[in-house]
Amino acid sequence: MSEARVLTESENPIDESGKPPATSPATVPTSPATPRARRTSGISLMPRRRTVEKSRIDALTHGRKALLCVDNISVSFDGFKALNELTLVLDEGELRCIIGPNGAGKTTLQDVITGKTKPDQGSVFLVGDDTDLTHLSEHQIAQRGVCRKFQRPTVFQGHSVFENLELALPGTKGVFQSLFARLSSKQKEKIEKILETIGLTEYMSTRAGLLSHGQKQWLEIGMLLAQDPRVLLVDEPVAGMTHQESERTAELLNSLAGERTVVVVEHDMEFVRSIARTVTVLHEGSVLAEGSMDAVQNDPKVIEVYLGAS
Amino acid sequence: MSAPVATEGLRRLEPVMSKKGWTAFGIVTLLTMGLVPLLNSLPAGSALQLPDYLVTLFGKFLCYATVAVAMDLLWGYAGILSLGHGVFFAIGGYAMGMTLMLAIGEAGVYRSKLPDFMVFLDWKELPWFWRPMDNFFVALCAALLVPGLLAYCFGFLAFRSRIRGVYFSIITQALTFALMLLFFRNETGLGGNNGLTDFKQIYGYSLHAQSTKHALFMLSAAGLMLSFLICRFVTTSKAGRVLRGVRDEESRVMFLGYDPTRFKLFVYTLSAVLCGFAGALYVPQVGIINPGELQPSNSIEMAIWVAVGGRGSLIGAPLGAFVVNGAKSWFTVALPNLWLYVLGALFVAVTLFFPRGLVGAFSGALERVRK
Repeated sequence: MSEARVLTESENPIDESGKPPATSPATVPTSPATPRARRTSGISLMPRRRTVEKSRIDALTHGRKALLCVDNISVSFDGFKALNELTLVLDEGELRCIIGPNGAGKTTLQDVITGKTKPDQGSVFLVGDDTDLTHLSEHQIAQRGVCRKFQRPTVFQGHSVFENLELALPGTKGVFQSLFARLSSKQKEKIEKILETIGLTEYMSTRAGLLSHGQKQWLEIGMLLAQDPRVLLVDEPVAGMTHQESERTAELLNSLAGERTVVVVEHDMEFVRSIARTVTVLHEGSVLAEGSMDAVQNDPKVIEVYLGAS
Repeated sequence: MSAPVATEGLRRLEPVMSKKGWTAFGIVTLLTMGLVPLLNSLPAGSALQLPDYLVTLFGKFLCYATVAVAMDLLWGYAGILSLGHGVFFAIGGYAMGMTLMLAIGEAGVYRSKLPDFMVFLDWKELPWFWRPMDNFFVALCAALLVPGLLAYCFGFLAFRSRIRGVYFSIITQALTFALMLLFFRNETGLGGNNGLTDFKQIYGYSLHAQSTKHALFMLSAAGLMLSFLICRFVTTSKAGRVLRGVRDEESRVMFLGYDPTRFKLFVYTLSAVLCGFAGALYVPQVGIINPGELQPSNSIEMAIWVAVGGRGSLIGAPLGAFVVNGAKSWFTVALPNLWLYVLGALFVAVTLFFPRGLVGAFSGALERVRK
């Protein structure tokens, strides 16, 4: 994956600057833009499950071990295009960093993938399942193994560390199942293993609200691990962490990739350099460049819009 | 609240109650059920003899306490403040009131088979929804199911539109106000302004007999304890932990794969059913149900009981109901004009000085003493 590719040919001013992209041109055809209305909260008792066409899946995933595809997504807020025909393919087990200046659409992209924001057009799907995730609600997407870590650590402050992890375990997610749920020794072992990984074994009975900022971040990562995610979306994991803590987080994220796909959205370039294998640069809602850190850093377009400043 | 973790097979993470808890629960159940009827049965003139009116009063308090437990389940654990729980209480009460009205038979003022107010309105036959209420058990089921169904439908629309917090509270206030207006109308067929009253007997037993009063009291006590047990079961289960999660960090619950709407809907409906149950026991003891029960202020008072007693313990809420209603009974007799001021002052004082309510203040003091 050292070869960088440009996925979209958006109406980017830099595209017209005459400079050819430093990498091979787009290989993915743009799907016919079929705008559809944002799902409003009309009376639909069962949100209809929509599927993605097989030909579309094949076109995007051809010849690679793809896992999650974001296909031609556009989102606009009051006329402002937060995402503009964005296409992104994530491979199985890869660690991908997404960078980009403020307003590039990094957070919106995560919101679309996890179901918080419904796009104006386009689809998101997991390979092996043709369901269009953009028609599902947040919890349904989470149940399919797409998990999200927020920038601000969001753990259950009033629950103990152990209970936090227990709630994250996959399986019983219904109301009546939960009423009679019991913890098996296997599940308990799993929690203990995660506690060890995130270094919180001795705090398992502590209320999560009493943990330090860094510990909460790890607890949240631990909760994502407990979910057995296929895709982990991590938003600025090292914001507010000490240098030592970031190093440990880098190690943790590196060890996670391989088994699962990890997507890290980060501002801290040093941190990105320490973990990144493939970097995607977003700019004005589209992919500007994609490739290894070195390739991206030497991409003149990228230098101009983003790295050039620093 | 962190749980002891066992090494062997499947187990519930948190027991419904500890051994000590079960013992205490048993003792409290026996005391609440037995003490008042016993003291009331003492020969007149003995120092400890409890007058009859106090049996009814305490029975009423027990019904309020049941409502408070149901409120606490919803507010204290799921963080949903309903200011319209009077609706479910009143519907439960009306369902019971209807069967009690029909049980009067021809012993009413007009000597007609129809309830008095229908004769007065010159109605010739029972409206359709009155007919099945002839059967006591149908009425009892209605007292539980109608509030549950209403809560389910109302909650479905509200939670699914992601209405939360103060907006939900305001809408529930509107709900109780709207229903009050509806029940005030004679055409609604529930006795209008006067409501349903002048009951004679319940399930063949005279409502004026002391034994019936004792039985109703004991049923109310048992109902309170049962409601407590049900709520305790919910709050100590995994569903309870999810509910507390919904209260503290709803987005995390969602991104862990739980549907918060369903959990909220479940707990709201359960809470409504318990209120309906309390209402059904309340009506035969006080002898009347009218649209006054649907006044928005009544529902707000229910929230005050829980706030005064302390949220999120299931024990504070019923205590709060006893304390506030005890004070109310005393003040409305001794200083009737002052009661609303006292209630307001109590609410402000508790919110300012004991944000965790009486139970929170008590356990805080206990901890300080231990240190």
